[in-house]
Amino acid sequence: MSVRERLFGDGERSGGSAERAFLVGGVCLLVAALLVFTPLAVTVPGSSFVFIEVGTLFVIYGLLVLGLDLQYGYTGLVNFGHVVFFAVGAYTVAMLSAEGSFAGVALGLPWLLALPVGVVAAAVLGAIVGTTSLRLRDDFLAIVTLATAEIFHTLFVNFRGVFGGNVGILGVPQPIADLAADSDTAQIATLVLFGGVTIIALGFMTRLTGSPYGRVLRAIRADELVTRSVGKSTFSYKMQAFVYGAALAGFAGGLFALYNGAVAPGFFTIQVTVTIWIGMLLGGASNHRAVLGGLAIIMGLRLLSRFALEVTPVSADAFASIRLIAVGLILVLVIRYRPAGIWGDERELGVDS
Amino acid sequence: MSLLDVDGLVKDFGGLRALDDLSVSVDRGELVGVMGPNGAGKSTFFNCVSGVVAPDAGTVRFDGEDVTGDAPESLAKTGLVRTFQRTRELETMTVRDNVRLAAPDQRGERALPALLRTSGMREEEQAVRDRADELIEAFELDHLKDEYSGALSGGQRKLLELARVLMLDPEVLLLDEPFAGVNPTLTNEIAGRIADLNDEGMTVVIIEHELETLTELVDRLVVLEQGSLLVEGEPAAVLADERVIEAYLGE
Repeated sequence: MSVRERLFGDGERSGGSAERAFLVGGVCLLVAALLVFTPLAVTVPGSSFVFIEVGTLFVIYGLLVLGLDLQYGYTGLVNFGHVVFFAVGAYTVAMLSAEGSFAGVALGLPWLLALPVGVVAAAVLGAIVGTTSLRLRDDFLAIVTLATAEIFHTLFVNFRGVFGGNVGILGVPQPIADLAADSDTAQIATLVLFGGVTIIALGFMTRLTGSPYGRVLRAIRADELVTRSVGKSTFSYKMQAFVYGAALAGFAGGLFALYNGAVAPGFFTIQVTVTIWIGMLLGGASNHRAVLGGLAIIMGLRLLSRFALEVTPVSADAFASIRLIAVGLILVLVIRYRPAGIWGDERELGVDS
Repeated sequence: MSLLDVDGLVKDFGGLRALDDLSVSVDRGELVGVMGPNGAGKSTFFNCVSGVVAPDAGTVRFDGEDVTGDAPESLAKTGLVRTFQRTRELETMTVRDNVRLAAPDQRGERALPALLRTSGMREEEQAVRDRADELIEAFELDHLKDEYSGALSGGQRKLLELARVLMLDPEVLLLDEPFAGVNPTLTNEIAGRIADLNDEGMTVVIIEHELETLTELVDRLVVLEQGSLLVEGEPAAVLADERVIEAYLGE
């Protein structure tokens, strides 16, 4: 029995797997709360700092890849502009909650208010893109989403009065850093908290896709006309999957802004979209745990290459190119030998190996 | 009053008139066969009736309601369900999931109950599972239950497609070439099942080239040629009609 079937083959069992995620996520949240609200402090050796930093970014990107998996892995929607929803969430939260930013809008509202607005903003953008493009053929959706991401990137750079140009929005509150005992504790607390959030999101995704709802999504990916002719309003499902994925990305963006304390266009380049797409394809689309695993591999590789840079005799520029070559090579190898991804199910995705 | 009433249907594809003022009506409980040479407009007729393509003119009335141009999903919900000429399985899903998918009005198909796993949703899913397994068993696919439908043979796909649409409990079933590419034994079996369904009160319309089975099976035959109705009536009378012979064999 494949991993997939063990995960989702049976409604009851997929429920169990989701419950486990809720439990683990809940424990993470508790630990994070302990670290934040008590004088408890942890110290991190300086050398492992980079792991925590990349780990935090991984769990934030984890939310992105989960949303993308709902859209592409389950529903078959090709979204090449996922980063735009991440960016819109982050910018909304930053502009609403920042105080005394160097450039751009900074309203100084409470971050607890800003975060849900960020989610809604991303969802609304998702709904707009969805309404105009989901009725189009798959490849058109890919073009529209890609273009949307580029348009927003250009807007962020050029509307300096609103978005702060290349500098972005500074002075975004960092609630965890403010509350925790010291900066080491804050780092760990952030990682554990965001990790818990991502695991809980994994639990929700597992439930959603393991249910009859997920069955309809998979049916749309397989053959939309058949799905319609057995009485399912496929457009509504596609819209929902798209908007949920966008909202989740907006949420991730909000968390990112509140963790980073600043947003700038440089954080929201096409590189983000590429990373999560490669992570998803590498791990195996339509398997939530697999896409997180794939993302971990691709981001781990980046981490590894940071250390490798120190011991290789090439310049940083040359090394960056080598890294790209390596990532490309891995992708080629995966597509050649495991077209459904490392943990993916070929029959589930309808690919021949 | 007829259950399905198609009046003056016209459909153009570019310069080609696929349907030309076609009027057909089907009474409740009838078993009607639709035949005609290739390109006569049989599949386009189904496509227009089932909402897959919108007709350029004419009306489709189902159970007294004007449903012209309605989306396939809303027609399927009201009980007008079709199959496809080239079987369209959801190949990346198991046989079970293929059948379960078609169950109408599932609470678990909405996001919130799915997320909350409400007890109502789970009971309903259990009922869907039981009903699906019954149908799968009835169509002798139970040894393939957990197989991905992409691995099924042509005949098994036809059976699966039938099992899937029956999950919807249709009032009118439109079958597009249910015997195409199926061996004679299985053809007889499928024909038997269709006859049974019809005996239980389901209205069935069948497009088919396999004339022998079709004429034995149906109450009435409708022959299309070049997008319009050529002849309709009792199977024996229709087959003896000179215009039909001419349409099939030429002058």
